[in-house]
Amino acid sequence: MVISSDSEPVAIAGIGISKRFGHVQALTNASVTVHPGEVVALLGDNGAGKSTFVKILLGIYSADSGQVVVNDDEVELASIQDAQRRGVEAVHQDLALAPDLSVVDNFFLGHEVIRRGPLGHLGILARKSMRGDAAQALRSLAIELPSLEVPVRELSGGQRQAIAIARAVMWARSVVLLDEPTAALGARQSEIVCQLMRTVASKGLGVLVISHDLPRILQVADSVSILWRGNTVRTAPAADLTVPDIVATMVGYKGNVA
Amino acid sequence: MTVANEPRTGSQDRSEDSASGDALGSEAVLPARGPVRRLFSGTPVYIFLFDVLLVAGFTILSPNHVFWSWGNEEAVMGNASEAFLLAAGATVMLAAGAFDLSLGANVILSSVAGGILLEHMTNQTTLDASAAGCLLAVLVCVATGGTVGFVNGFLITKLRVNSLIATLGTTGICTGLAFLFVHGADITGLPTNLQEDFGLNYIEYVPPPTFIALVILLWFWVVLRFSRYGMRTLAIGSNRASAERAGVFVGRHIHTLMILGGLMAGLAGFFDIARLGTTDTTGHTLDSLAALTAVVVGGTPLHGGRANMFGTLWGAVLAYVILDGLIVMGLSTFYQEVATGSVLIIAVAIDANRARRRE
Repeated sequence: MVISSDSEPVAIAGIGISKRFGHVQALTNASVTVHPGEVVALLGDNGAGKSTFVKILLGIYSADSGQVVVNDDEVELASIQDAQRRGVEAVHQDLALAPDLSVVDNFFLGHEVIRRGPLGHLGILARKSMRGDAAQALRSLAIELPSLEVPVRELSGGQRQAIAIARAVMWARSVVLLDEPTAALGARQSEIVCQLMRTVASKGLGVLVISHDLPRILQVADSVSILWRGNTVRTAPAADLTVPDIVATMVGYKGNVA
Repeated sequence: MTVANEPRTGSQDRSEDSASGDALGSEAVLPARGPVRRLFSGTPVYIFLFDVLLVAGFTILSPNHVFWSWGNEEAVMGNASEAFLLAAGATVMLAAGAFDLSLGANVILSSVAGGILLEHMTNQTTLDASAAGCLLAVLVCVATGGTVGFVNGFLITKLRVNSLIATLGTTGICTGLAFLFVHGADITGLPTNLQEDFGLNYIEYVPPPTFIALVILLWFWVVLRFSRYGMRTLAIGSNRASAERAGVFVGRHIHTLMILGGLMAGLAGFFDIARLGTTDTTGHTLDSLAALTAVVVGGTPLHGGRANMFGTLWGAVLAYVILDGLIVMGLSTFYQEVATGSVLIIAVAIDANRARRRE
């Protein structure tokens, strides 16, 4: 199944991905496609291969076989920087923020803006313009923070989550990958994160999200792909699926073939 | 086959709601302190005040209040240049969570390399060396220091040896090599004009080495506070994995930091021979300890992520005030080693306590 014959544009796709770690076959012929403007949920039980799949799309691991497609081009991602250059950004489960750095600095880490003129040659940062852009990015996602200057360490879990998502959206040109974005959040904040995903997709970016929060993710996703023992065993529009259906597929009661 | 639905209008509507007060991240947060307030608050100010208190104490207690005299100030200022350089380098490295215990041994090896060169370039009748010879000696010292830093960086980033262990190993190697090169005896009779014109000279009450060290320290503060390099350094110390995922080449960055620290040790090696007119192969064994103490006392946490260059400056001054105070009071300088060790342990204990409170 999946995509190569599909004439729709592809934001990101992993097609026929296999990956082995020593004696463990983490992925076998797994395929997931995300189109621009679409939220795709990647579901599966623990150990199904979700994180491995996403890490391959991010260039952290390389696949043993299979193709990675970004913006309709087949690519080889050798590093996370490679993926970033192609407009792929991620919100990691641990958020990947530097707690001692300010909100602004976290936004621009790896994408710093340097001043013009002689100070620029010395690598001096254009913090004023960075501050403006970070504030703009947060505003566009309707995220309110009392200050952009405080170290991230002093912010709440929800605020950190918001920063991680806004940062990924700010730099992503093709796709945002989210690994368990609501795992550490309360119900109300999880709801807001789900709304953020829709806002991001409405900007024309592809969104691929790993989550165990099935009821909430079913509401927000357009399409669902389910991994079982490293295989994509089901891909369907979210509207066609129910939570019991998904759980049965995730744990292998639905006639999955390994 | 996946289906690219139009974004759901219901969800869209809810996302609009999020702007109206319930937004993620709208909880209260402490207000940020302004840069001026930050400069005049916190650890550097406390350490500075402690320095002032010690100076006052030693002045009152010293015979004829000799501690507060020009001759004594000269001695403290001259000695402090190397400490400032090493502590500034150690601060930048520790900001990224990297240790360099080989700084002192690097000073010894670099000064020996420069000393051997100068020995051959000194005119044996006038006991002077040409300016070009002296300049070449600076380059040799700095290059030796940088090479040791490069090796440290290679061990830490390529061979993945823990920075404490790697630099402990190179401490032994550098010290051993230095003794081998000088056959166990210090090189003496280095150019006197280097001492008179540079090492022991004074420009407006400040020895040139101390002035250069202070300028470098100030520049490192600018780098850490305002530059991309500094921001990435602090990010690595704050959370190495996060920096990596943000696209920072962490290994390469730490490698450059280790080289930078090595360059500082090399320059300190040159200052050493320029001041003393001889190599001092036994005099720097505790330099790394002193540098680390100055950094930690100054408020830079052991795990990095934050750095306090002015705290480092006053921390380095503290060590010299204590040393000089002991000399002026007629006490053994061995007490200084006891004091430095004790201050390091106390500073680390305070740092650990702070970290616990933050959690």
